[in-house]
Amino acid sequence: MSTRGESILPRRSPLAELRLVVRQVGYEQLSFWLNPIGAIFTVGFALLFLLMLGASAGSSRVSYLHNIKLVQYYVPGFIAYGVMAASFNSLAISLVIRRETGLLKRLRLSPLPTWTLLTSILLSTLLIAFAEVVLMLAVGRWAFAVQLPSGPSGIGALLVVLILGGLSFAALGIAMSTLIPNQQAAGPLTSTVFFVLLFLSGLWFPLKSGSALANISTFFPIRHFITAVFRTFSHPGASAWSGHDLLIVVIWGVVAAAVAFRRFQWAPRHT
Amino acid sequence: MPAVSVRGLVRSYGKVHAVDGVSFEVEAGEVFALLGPNGAGKTTTIEILEGFRDRDAGEVRVLGIDPGDRRSGQRLRSQLGVVLQELAVEPFLSVRQVLERNAGYYPAPRPVGEVIGLVGLTEKADAKVKTLSGGQQRRLDVGLGIVGNPALLFLDEPTTGLDPAGRRTSWELVRRLAGEGTTVILTTHYMEEAEALADQVAIIASGKIVAHGPPASLGGRDQGAATIRFQLPTGVTPDDLPMTVTGNGRSVELRTDRELEALYELTRWALEHEVRVTGLTVSRHTLEDVYLQLTGADPDRFQTDSASEAPVRG
Repeated sequence: MSTRGESILPRRSPLAELRLVVRQVGYEQLSFWLNPIGAIFTVGFALLFLLMLGASAGSSRVSYLHNIKLVQYYVPGFIAYGVMAASFNSLAISLVIRRETGLLKRLRLSPLPTWTLLTSILLSTLLIAFAEVVLMLAVGRWAFAVQLPSGPSGIGALLVVLILGGLSFAALGIAMSTLIPNQQAAGPLTSTVFFVLLFLSGLWFPLKSGSALANISTFFPIRHFITAVFRTFSHPGASAWSGHDLLIVVIWGVVAAAVAFRRFQWAPRHT
Repeated sequence: MPAVSVRGLVRSYGKVHAVDGVSFEVEAGEVFALLGPNGAGKTTTIEILEGFRDRDAGEVRVLGIDPGDRRSGQRLRSQLGVVLQELAVEPFLSVRQVLERNAGYYPAPRPVGEVIGLVGLTEKADAKVKTLSGGQQRRLDVGLGIVGNPALLFLDEPTTGLDPAGRRTSWELVRRLAGEGTTVILTTHYMEEAEALADQVAIIASGKIVAHGPPASLGGRDQGAATIRFQLPTGVTPDDLPMTVTGNGRSVELRTDRELEALYELTRWALEHEVRVTGLTVSRHTLEDVYLQLTGADPDRFQTDSASEAPVRG
């Protein structure tokens, strides 16, 4: 019987770890897009919603919201929805599936550094969300002639809002995954929470400020995120920033990150 | 230096002592089998060695590293291979893609093509994982375990769910890896698997090691009374034989601790009377006999696996 001496391994350099992140994001993307039904469903759902609602809105206007065209509300609304669907809904469900099938445990037992894995998952989620955003901006512009964010301040504001919002809802998605006991419950539980909150937050119709729903929804982050995205679409001259809304979204994200950090599990929970 | 040394290992979940003072050593290049009923503490012990779970007490060294020390965790994990019971593979990637991805996590991986050949998936190399049969997915799991070219490989019930041919292939692979100097720690419920592969076997029950040694002599099974079994020749009754046998029908046996003398008498008698004795075997306790005796036939003695309820290092 031959034996092997212990190999002395140098630590990876930061650059090598960064390359590992890029590589892992590549495989995350490959894994996502190679599942055509999942990919089309995730990306296409928001687009389908926008097309149907946008078409049925016609030329209606919202009298209590500066008399803007309804579709001018829907495009930013569904951009926000797309980001939330990818970073909250899809991420929560996929993390539960990965945990319960042992994928997370296997990665934890490999020498891939934990931060590399989590960063790759977050980056990959944002990439998918951004693919949706670009599609919906194009539809908003060419199909509904909506006024898009313009100028460096408008586009800059949109990017910042989407990145901070995407990360915050991803943190909420990770926290949500820690509350779900098994694979079978992942889809129904997450989608129920998500769609009830979407309804309360006025995704399908802008809430009149001061109304009961509007008061309830100020507590949750969804309406604030929609508003923050909506503001980046405002007319030149008006501020593209809604710092107060963005702040509330980020606070939710930070709290969720703390919950996720405390409760995160690598091993399957099934007995 | 042994590849693994464990002294006085303790891990409790609440009031349950899942692992209760376990000690053993595994030499480099050895195949070590951990046997025991579900919930006996096998998985907890292995997860502590892998650095996946914390211990409450005891000394543990794996490849010279304390697996409880998170600072050296990455150095340890880059030398470990792990095959889990779960079929944990992304369904939409191909066999080659999954192996290539994981190979990139290790400092000195085995060539992916070689791994595919070793686990017998050459024809399925470019098939999506979800199209593989259960046995093929299991083999891919083993491939993921060895792609990092580990010095120490953990196999958790590696052949559960495999057909006999698949099991033989896996055994060949384990022997080959051991021959190359890889240390292997495996758990199994199949006694013949432990007997075929392991240099050392430890039986664990209720968190304690109740027997430890080479499979051939475990629990003193190479000593004590032997059982001689054979078929009665046609036209012969037990009374015609030169010794007292028990049994019903034509299959008879006798227990003796002087089996050499008994065999001599039997064969001399058979030759003198020109009768053919068939189906002759001499055996001592099987490994399974020893196992059942040591772990207790009463299944209620052992609680179901509570390990998965417990918090894991995060």
